[in-house]
Amino acid sequence: MLPDFASVIPESKEDALAYLSSLKSAKIFAGGTDLLVKMRRGESYSHIVDITRIRDIKVISDHGETINIGALSTHYEISVNQIISEKALSLAQACGWVGSPAIRNMGTIGGNLVNASPAADSLAPLLIHDADVVLESKDGTRRMRLEDFILAPYKTDIQPHEILTFITIKGLPGYREGYKRVTKRAAWAISRLSIAWAIQEKGGFYKDVKLAIGSCTPMPFRPRKVEDSLKDRAKDEKTIQVAVGEIIDEIIKVSGMRPSFVYKIPVVKALLEDILKG
Amino acid sequence: MVGSNRKRIDVIDKVLGKPVFAGDMKADRLLFAVVYRSPRPHAWIKSIDVSEALAQPGIVKVITGEDIPGKKQFGVIKKDQPCLAEGRVRYVGEPILLIVGETENAARKAMSSVKIHFEDIEAIRDPFTAEKSGTLIHEDGNLLGHRKVIKGNVERGFAESDVIVEHTYSTTWLDHGFMETEAGVGYLDDAGRIVVVSSTQNIHYKMKEISRVLGISEDMVRVIQSTTGGGFGGKLDVTVELFLALAVYYTKRPVMMRFTREESFVSNTKRHPLYIEYKTGAKKDGSIQAVKVTIIGDTGPYISYGETVCLRVAVHSTGPYEVPNVHADSRMFYTNNPVCGAMRGFGVPQLAFAHESQMDAVARILNMDPLDIRLKNGLRKGSSTATSQILHDSVGFIDTLKKIEPFWRERKKSSHTSGFGIGCMFYGCGNTAISNPAKCHLRLTDDGKIALHSGVCEIGQGSDTILWQILLETLKIDEKNVVLVRGDTDTSSDVGSTSASRQTYISGKAVYEAARKLNRYLDEKGYYRGRSLGDIYEEARTENNVIFDGYFDPPTTQLDMETSEGAPYATYAFATHMTEVEVDDKTGVCLVKRVHAAHDVGKAVNPRLVKGQVYGGVAMGIGLALMEEFIPGKSESLDNYYMPTSMDMPEIEVFIVEDEEPTGPFGAKGVGEPALIPQAASIINGIQDAVGVKPSQLPCHIERLKKLIEDKKSERRQEP
Repeated sequence: MLPDFASVIPESKEDALAYLSSLKSAKIFAGGTDLLVKMRRGESYSHIVDITRIRDIKVISDHGETINIGALSTHYEISVNQIISEKALSLAQACGWVGSPAIRNMGTIGGNLVNASPAADSLAPLLIHDADVVLESKDGTRRMRLEDFILAPYKTDIQPHEILTFITIKGLPGYREGYKRVTKRAAWAISRLSIAWAIQEKGGFYKDVKLAIGSCTPMPFRPRKVEDSLKDRAKDEKTIQVAVGEIIDEIIKVSGMRPSFVYKIPVVKALLEDILKG
Repeated sequence: MVGSNRKRIDVIDKVLGKPVFAGDMKADRLLFAVVYRSPRPHAWIKSIDVSEALAQPGIVKVITGEDIPGKKQFGVIKKDQPCLAEGRVRYVGEPILLIVGETENAARKAMSSVKIHFEDIEAIRDPFTAEKSGTLIHEDGNLLGHRKVIKGNVERGFAESDVIVEHTYSTTWLDHGFMETEAGVGYLDDAGRIVVVSSTQNIHYKMKEISRVLGISEDMVRVIQSTTGGGFGGKLDVTVELFLALAVYYTKRPVMMRFTREESFVSNTKRHPLYIEYKTGAKKDGSIQAVKVTIIGDTGPYISYGETVCLRVAVHSTGPYEVPNVHADSRMFYTNNPVCGAMRGFGVPQLAFAHESQMDAVARILNMDPLDIRLKNGLRKGSSTATSQILHDSVGFIDTLKKIEPFWRERKKSSHTSGFGIGCMFYGCGNTAISNPAKCHLRLTDDGKIALHSGVCEIGQGSDTILWQILLETLKIDEKNVVLVRGDTDTSSDVGSTSASRQTYISGKAVYEAARKLNRYLDEKGYYRGRSLGDIYEEARTENNVIFDGYFDPPTTQLDMETSEGAPYATYAFATHMTEVEVDDKTGVCLVKRVHAAHDVGKAVNPRLVKGQVYGGVAMGIGLALMEEFIPGKSESLDNYYMPTSMDMPEIEVFIVEDEEPTGPFGAKGVGEPALIPQAASIINGIQDAVGVKPSQLPCHIERLKKLIEDKKSERRQEP
């Protein structure tokens, strides 16, 4: 049973922003795969602004170094998009694992980020691609780093009158890239943990390593110090052992020792070793 | 007809979306009822204030336990469970009030206006505490039942054994997770009778309970089965029926109930968690000499099918093997956990996990092949079971092993962490050591047809089609001349429940008996020489002979109260599953790759439906082995209770063994529960083969499996 609400379906971004600036307690519907679940649990909003008909924020476009992802791109669309597959493979793979086919067809990346679940599959890949989010309101546009946008699990910096319209990521063509997640069943499952990686190597040396580990820390974690220390290091067993050990130390530093780490730490360790070995 | 892959008789309608489920029903002035449930596991109810709830817009009636006109308790085995709790609640989810509103929204909203003052009592959370605690859940103590199976002399058996293997096993709660949640509609018919249409596995039982609770005669109650979207035992106990009857009784208006998934989870009975201590003794040649099993079960606060499970697990505790010395001790305790009831297999899938792990453990020590040790000990014609029942007919167990044998002998690991496991089972078809008959009748109709009146609840498994095939085969008649009148207490006799893998065997036989009588009659009257049914009907009517009934009650004996010696079932189904798994030792993820399943069903009335049962059983077995775990207070819905999806399914090849059962219709037995029972066991044995660890707790989900793998690694490191 859903609580009562009124809804509007604006056809343009301008109309949507106008509604948002004039309505109190309005909530944006960008696919509904999180919103409807919350409403069924009793969260109520007097007004729903359904933004799914705004065409220009559905587009994925290539701008050379960067890629613009319209916030209304569905998980399915991202998972099969050619630009994403070539320059941000981990994101395509991660979006291909979200929920079930029905959820991938309805749920959008913008909604996924605003919901800010720490287990969201898109987060780790977006982090290694240094994602920025673009937030628009009637008063103007602001851009911020994804890491700054998400304040805490399920909490972001979005303001009541704003729409998250675009996500900008840096393409990493030519990197060895991927996304691995661990779940309790083969599909339609929340990630128990996940890792996104993009690695550039040359002649037995690491040139650039980007890693993000999901579901171990309050938000997916990018071990930047270890990434920097791997630069120009020889790719050998010892380097890998040391790097993985440092990453695990950092995770424990961020989160403290959690009961789930009995499981997660050995798994992260084994997966990171595999990933760095390639 | 019998033995053919006839299309299910309901398939076209179901594909077209035509059948009406209870939750889709419509009626003028339809009310909606919801249940207010206890948020406390164990508490005194000090006061109930419904005045504010009653004052909410659209609220028609609030019903409490005091309002129940007849008997206040119900129960499928014993009448111990309050329909609406008075004075005390014993589990989270126990019904206290029934709120009837003009709409579902109104009724649900009013729930938050109910004021109940509770005073907590210590909650008993496990059977071990139940055994020792001074807190009694019921006046006569916390022990529901204690059953033993004793054969030979188990101590002598161990003394004569060369190896003894002893392990403990534990399992947890599971939810049935049927697709359609509990639902129904109740109304008064023109004669003022109470009619309940519901999603159920047993209409006659529900009819009797309604009559008792309302204090009215059975002929003032009619129960009709709506199209039912799965049961698995969860729709055997009363779900919505008594509430609907009470609401109709008081409002005189049609009333609907439809549980949300959350309500279904908190209210429905669960699979029994069992703690099993298992000791097996064997000679060097692999022959099992003795089995000692101690089973402690958590049945929750009310009986439901707890006694049934308590006995059935003891009787099945050796698995499908001939063991000369047996001592099984099974106790079931009350707790303040969810009520546990019937769920596909009545405890036997849990036991199969234990006895099959034991067989592999013995084989490993003796350096014997897991298939060979089963071939050596398997039940065959002339074998004596744990209850000293001699099996004379339809003992196809060894044949199921032989069907699997070529694949087993040729198995090849595809990686260093892949493995193969065997799981076997036997399962008594029908209720345990009690009379459990089915009745049906055939009627010649005035429009020149034959009507089969059946009280069998089709819950998706295909029983209507099976009965149809048995009828047509026996009558030797074209199906255009036959109609099925079904699932209605007004038009059918009691057939017992759709449970215990009994409908093909027992109701099938009743249909066969009725059809034989009619077949002879039709033959006498010249039907098979061309005379029309309409013509024969006219003559039959003048003879007052238009109804031909069939009856079958499988021959069983009562069991000795001390040793359980006797014949608890007339016949047993047998099966062997072989499962290939692939374990990721880094993450603890176990994928089930391929299953070969062989089932002795006596006679496959419809081989395709047998296979359908096995496919579903394998899916459920994957859930039992690897992921399903109902945690009281935490598992709220399918969001955090994981059941397998199609992506978890392996390739499955089904082999049918037909060792005909002489008392069954055309030799048929049952397969509904057998399809599930050996699956989890075969996965667990596969995991051991793959990564060398021995899971002792179900489900063996990724975290438990990873821990076993890590523990084994550190053991190895500690070795010099």
